[in-house]
Amino acid sequence: MSEFNKKHLTYLKSAAKKIRLTVLNMISTAGASHIASSYSIVDLVVFLYEHVLNVNPKKPYDANRDRFILSKGWGVSAIYAVLARKGFFDPSLLDTYCQNGSKMIGSSTKNSISGIEETTGSMGHGLPIGVGIALAAKMQKKDFKVFVLLSDGECDEGTTWESALLASHHKLNNLIVVIDCNKWQSFGRTKDVLSLEPLIAKWKAFNWEVSEIDGHNFDQMKSIFNHRSNKKTYPSVIIAHTTKGKGVSIFEDRNEWHYKTPSEKEIKIAQRELL
Amino acid sequence: MKEALLQTLKNIMRQHKKAVLLTADMGFSVFEEIQTEFGDRFINTGITEQSTISVAAGLAHNGFIVYVYAQAPFITARCYEQIRLDVSYSNSNVKIIGTAAGISLSQLGVSHFALEDVALMRNLPNMKIFTPGDPFEAEWAIRQSYDLNGPAYIRIGKTGNESIHNGSLKIAIGKGIKIYSGNYASIFVSGSLLYLVKKIVMKLVQENIHVTLISLPTIEPLDKSLILHEAKKTGKIITIEEHSIIGGLGSAAAEILAESGISAKLYRFGTPELFTNVTGSNDYLLDLYGLSFKKILKKIIRIIK
Repeated sequence: MSEFNKKHLTYLKSAAKKIRLTVLNMISTAGASHIASSYSIVDLVVFLYEHVLNVNPKKPYDANRDRFILSKGWGVSAIYAVLARKGFFDPSLLDTYCQNGSKMIGSSTKNSISGIEETTGSMGHGLPIGVGIALAAKMQKKDFKVFVLLSDGECDEGTTWESALLASHHKLNNLIVVIDCNKWQSFGRTKDVLSLEPLIAKWKAFNWEVSEIDGHNFDQMKSIFNHRSNKKTYPSVIIAHTTKGKGVSIFEDRNEWHYKTPSEKEIKIAQRELL
Repeated sequence: MKEALLQTLKNIMRQHKKAVLLTADMGFSVFEEIQTEFGDRFINTGITEQSTISVAAGLAHNGFIVYVYAQAPFITARCYEQIRLDVSYSNSNVKIIGTAAGISLSQLGVSHFALEDVALMRNLPNMKIFTPGDPFEAEWAIRQSYDLNGPAYIRIGKTGNESIHNGSLKIAIGKGIKIYSGNYASIFVSGSLLYLVKKIVMKLVQENIHVTLISLPTIEPLDKSLILHEAKKTGKIITIEEHSIIGGLGSAAAEILAESGISAKLYRFGTPELFTNVTGSNDYLLDLYGLSFKKILKKIIRIIK
């Protein structure tokens, strides 16, 4: 990837804070949920759109663009905030998040907002669709890459592992999966609900190239870029260890923020930490 | 019908570089030639019906026109949510070919039956449903589905290999095909029981009973005006399908007739809302469900008299 210095780091940190603030406004205005799921991926998504993805807001459907699929569609508020910042649409649209008649739907939906590729949120859809797109790229001899951001909970789904087989069988080295490993799922801790460990060994056993990063550490995220390489044989998976609700102390690592809308008081606390 | 299917797919894939065929590990001794000829445009995705549908959507969203081939129960009910969300919602160019529909695989029992597939597909916006009744209709369905922008379900039974139509017939989507005309009642058939019903209609002719016989190679869109026209003409509409009487052609006809205000009696032939836990030949099970030559004939005579 291109040069990455202190200036970039400062910029990314500041951008991530702004995105979290935007998401806070969107979710509290709408009385919506999933703020913690969104905060968990903000740093990753900011980094991907700044330094990894080859996408152009002026040509959102360019045939050679990288495809980014948020398989954990319920975290889409973070994507909307980033897309608006990148110029995919007028930021004033963000105010309509989950409002009556708005296309800013609370889970990623195709044919709604510029920059949103597929319909996800029902779990285990993003990866097999990504496999289809990666196959299409191979058949069309196009060099774009397909990025799929999965939740760790989605690793419960059978289609995740069906797709893991398919992608390595077809040597889809143009497919890059990032797992937002925040260790929570709907009902509780992933290890208590349905243990995924050893997760790295599982993906390795499916012949994927596996790496592990801290999903809030921009320095470590630089390694994601290397997975774009055409020299590797197999698809890549980056297991990003994250904290659900990252960025605001009262939201961090607390599963209730999968569901709750922040109160006035909680909004104030969050704003103080994010400003 | 499989021969017609293979040849048609081969021709389409020769003609159109955008055509891709996925199979969820089905088509042994059918698709080997296609695999050899078309290389990466034929993909056996393994026994992954759910992912296969999503993979097809991913390909379709990037310019391909994708046929997906597998046995009907596994490529409809098993992966219904993938069809609903990844294909139907986005109006994707995915054409699902479900083989062994109905009770085609009679010896294998309920696990291999598809008696709810039309009901499932009929619920989905954008989805067109083809129910060919003979090889000619099957060939037409596969060709026609390629030209449609959006998803299709093509339901192929194991029977239905006998030719009903000749090659000069023009079929149009959403239009029924009149095979015989009579005034006692109007029979609408969707799918592979067409040959059996035609035999029944000819038997009735010998007894000087003339009923109208219409084949419906598409259920969605359905030839509503023809159903209403026949309802006015004969006052007796009979639907026959190798599918549950709930949700398929029988239900579709009931909806149309009930909303029309036209006074006509509807008789639905299909499988009842009941699982069977026995095995047997196709003929045996069709008879068990009241769908054999004898039982349909007897019931129709009763309806007419």
